[in-house]
Amino acid sequence: MNKISEWMDGELDGTTARRQVERLKQDTELRHVWETFHLIGDVMRGERALSPDFERRLSARLASEPTVLAPQPRAVRKFATYALSAAASLSAVALVGWLAYVNNPLGPQPEIAKAPDTTQPVVIAPEPQLASVPSDGTMNEYLIAHQEFSPSTEIQGLAPYIRGVSSLQPVAAR
Amino acid sequence: MRTTCSIVLLGFVAPLLAAEQDGLTWLTKMANASRKLNYSGTFVYQHGDRIETSRIVHFVNPAGGEFEKLETLDGPAREVIRTNDQVTCYRPDTKTVIIEKRSARRFPALLPDQMGGVADNYSVIVGDTDRVAGYDCQVITLVPKDRLRYGHQFCAEAGSGLPLRARTVSEKKLPLESFAFTEVKLGGRFSREQVRSRYADKSRNWKVDHSTLVLSDVPADTGWTLTRQPTGFKKLTELKRSIAGRATVVSHIVYSDGLAAISVFIEPLPKGRPVQSLSHQGAVNIYVRPVADHMVTVLGETPAATVMQVANSLELRGGRGR
Repeated sequence: MNKISEWMDGELDGTTARRQVERLKQDTELRHVWETFHLIGDVMRGERALSPDFERRLSARLASEPTVLAPQPRAVRKFATYALSAAASLSAVALVGWLAYVNNPLGPQPEIAKAPDTTQPVVIAPEPQLASVPSDGTMNEYLIAHQEFSPSTEIQGLAPYIRGVSSLQPVAAR
Repeated sequence: MRTTCSIVLLGFVAPLLAAEQDGLTWLTKMANASRKLNYSGTFVYQHGDRIETSRIVHFVNPAGGEFEKLETLDGPAREVIRTNDQVTCYRPDTKTVIIEKRSARRFPALLPDQMGGVADNYSVIVGDTDRVAGYDCQVITLVPKDRLRYGHQFCAEAGSGLPLRARTVSEKKLPLESFAFTEVKLGGRFSREQVRSRYADKSRNWKVDHSTLVLSDVPADTGWTLTRQPTGFKKLTELKRSIAGRATVVSHIVYSDGLAAISVFIEPLPKGRPVQSLSHQGAVNIYVRPVADHMVTVLGETPAATVMQVANSLELRGGRGR
């Protein structure tokens, strides 16, 4: 991983740098490290705007997930100097992991899907930040229209249509 | 050495493939039984902390025509009648009928390439036998290979393959929804009368809302596309249609991973609608958001994150949607 940070700092010669490209192609974990390093750089240069109550949500997040993506401390040495100027090193790394997770819509989701790698804490599909409420019945027409095309209807017959007429739903005023 | 390894490897992999094939065969058997078998019974639909009981009758006439009736047994009365070309929902409390015209041909959902989709996205495991509604049944479990989809478990009647129980579990392995027969009668003779709505005559003066597919056999180009199509999902169809209760033509695009489906509905932005909302009905998540001057509704029996990924990456070709 040191090689990666050196490479990003432009300290490697052509051949060694090219070798890093090959390593990146083959190693998903290393690719995450590489992306994270770039994110650190972006954040430190202020290229990623933070949302208004970022601090509160970060604290909450940290409280619930204290071990979010902690790359080997040795690996971040080069960037640690960067990071230390902004915050304590551990929270900065966690911060970046959190950012990579929340603020990176173009993040590596397809790769995530393929890699059955459960040791990577970043590799979780983003949790919806909007609270989900039980459907109030206004979507019934859509549910019924959807059902025809769902293979689940093919397997279970008419039963899934119950979702579109669920009797415990209030009927929307029409 | 290499040969030995290959043989050992083959000996290890072949039974796995055979087991998976066995699971896919069960899925096909379930679909065929649901379509071709005469059956009637009572089933419970459980979602969240709610339980609802319904009665279902499925009848196939000698010409292969399918007739199906679903009626709720608790709460306000509802009936759904499905024939070959349409689905009709009766709501006696509001005196409303919703008619959903189906495409001319029944939509062929479980094609061989879709079974391939199932195998790509889920591990299909043929498990133990169990008993549901007094019948022995075979447990078939579909474990998702990533977090973009839910897990499923079916219990198919040992002889006919009719699914007697279907469960959906979340990413955290929590139950989201289940359908299970408590009593079922397989085979037997049926009359057309048993699959007729009891409201068929009364409903003549009720309000009728139509949903119709426009150009049902000719997929339309709606002009919308996904920049980040969830892994394993393929576009099944794209069409322009009417939706009951909506005045304008709605674009409808369907994606599926072979088992779960996600529908995208796009219509002009109505006045006074909430801008963004996330809701659920059993295992179906529903996300609404405005995109440019359109309202986008995305729903499917997948995790909310997958539905939201679809909605958030939807745009008009050429970037006009942004």
